[in-house]
Amino acid sequence: MRSLTLANRWDAGQIALHVLLILLVVLSLYPMFFTLITSVKDIHQFYHSYFSITYPFHWGNYGEAWDAIGGYVINTLVVAAAAVVIIVAFAALSAYAFARFSFFGKEVLFMALLALIMIPDMITLVPTFLLLRDLGLLDSLVSLVAVYVSSGQVVSIFILRQFFASIPTELVDAARIDGASETQVLTRVVLPLSKSILLTVAIMNVLMIWNDYIWPLVTLSNSRLWTISLGLVGFSERFAGMAAWGPLFAGYVIASIPLIAFISISMRSFISDLTSGALKA
Amino acid sequence: MATGRINRAAYLFILPTFAALIGLKYYPAASAVYHSFFQWDGATVGRFVGLANYVQLFRDEIIHVSAINIVKFIIGRVALNLVFPLLAAKLVFHVRHQGAAYLYRVLLTAPIVVPVMVILLLWKFIYHPYDGLLNQLLEAVGLGAWRRAWLGDFETALYAVIGLGFPWVTGIGSAGFAFLIYLGGLQSIPREIFDAAAVDGAVSLRRFFRVELPMIASQLKLILILTVINTMESYVPVMVMTGGGPGVSSMVPGLYLYESAFLYDKFGYASAIGVVMTIILLIVTTISQRSIKSYSEAEP
Repeated sequence: MRSLTLANRWDAGQIALHVLLILLVVLSLYPMFFTLITSVKDIHQFYHSYFSITYPFHWGNYGEAWDAIGGYVINTLVVAAAAVVIIVAFAALSAYAFARFSFFGKEVLFMALLALIMIPDMITLVPTFLLLRDLGLLDSLVSLVAVYVSSGQVVSIFILRQFFASIPTELVDAARIDGASETQVLTRVVLPLSKSILLTVAIMNVLMIWNDYIWPLVTLSNSRLWTISLGLVGFSERFAGMAAWGPLFAGYVIASIPLIAFISISMRSFISDLTSGALKA
Repeated sequence: MATGRINRAAYLFILPTFAALIGLKYYPAASAVYHSFFQWDGATVGRFVGLANYVQLFRDEIIHVSAINIVKFIIGRVALNLVFPLLAAKLVFHVRHQGAAYLYRVLLTAPIVVPVMVILLLWKFIYHPYDGLLNQLLEAVGLGAWRRAWLGDFETALYAVIGLGFPWVTGIGSAGFAFLIYLGGLQSIPREIFDAAAVDGAVSLRRFFRVELPMIASQLKLILILTVINTMESYVPVMVMTGGGPGVSSMVPGLYLYESAFLYDKFGYASAIGVVMTIILLIVTTISQRSIKSYSEAEP
């Protein structure tokens, strides 16, 4: 009897949990749902059926939006790909050295890295801009990549160092006994074991770059070089000014697709890295 | 001999990183500190003015407004970031059906992949005075009298920017990870602790405060520190949504730094703002790290 009522109470509790969670999911995802249904509306459908799905779908909105922001998407893909490869390569080398080697000045250099966490972009913004300007490197995607490489290093090194340090020494020593050089140990033994964490680091940096607005704003005045965050603001003002809500929302979908595609491919390992406590204070 | 070889390799391994960091982090940071003592328009070396930039900074009305705004911002963001993702994580953690729990986790994490700028512009639309979702919704449920230009109103502009992202389970950008980090923390609590708590007859709410909360103290600490740091540094949401307006009613220090440098060519003054912000950031982080540590140690 008692266990029965207990079970019932549990079920009531479970039902309440599900109701609350479904509510949270619906509220969290509603803006995205609204974006999708609005992205295929013409102006008439937008004003007359604001909340509902309308037919026919106006796929032309996507063409219009792509003409306006396609270039920004491509620029961002190029910058992100170049920067992420360089970030991960540099960070893996440093992380390996800090995890596995003993060398003079190691602690001091590591503290110097640690200190950078406390140096916000805010303080480096102005001098970096002036440095690039004086070197004649403004309005170049190469400078933007260089800025991201420096910004992505510290956190990437911390995460990779922690992982590299956890690889059993026996594996590394075995390779060394077989006559492998340090570089071979890294590329043949350590990196293949680290695929998932390398992917996680890559995702974090792709997110950082795709979402950055300030560096392209201060370094790129030529709109042909603009990346997506910067390009979207101008695009949004122009289309909102014309009440062209359909193409505007189609543009938001287009701006999101590459990021969504990249991350959903690799999300599973990313989430398990995060939840397994790879990141802890 | 073997160690000698390893030593040399180590320097080669860290060389690319430090070359990038010296050019684009250490040098600019040092340059900012140095130039904060100059009246500097970025063109010439500038005139040494000692602490004048700092003195001016403490008298600047706009700095006062920005300082108060950023404090409100931090309090608001910490409250939202600490409470709502934790609430959601706790709910998901207690779902017994594993498939459903996984689905909730994926759905509540999904908004992370939407670019931050898209979310900001989406919320700018939601607050739009005529066509925006919020006013349309108020109209639809018969509360049309409550409609207003949320981002253009002195009373609401700042709070509208702080409150974007309702229902705040998945934060914007890096704050989006709070939910996953809490969930990871809850899932890593050893089973035996729950069993012991059940034997002791700990009921749900008490169990939450006595068992679960202390066990995820390190995750809470991480989220707290990250939120404080990120919020202090963040000005892009304000920049994009209100431009600091109307007037300077939603101005924050980062945006004022940007405007001082890139709109008014006051690079020395902007550097001084950056230096003060960095110092405050250092102090706040140190204090928050200490106080939370002592709190979790005080708990039995």
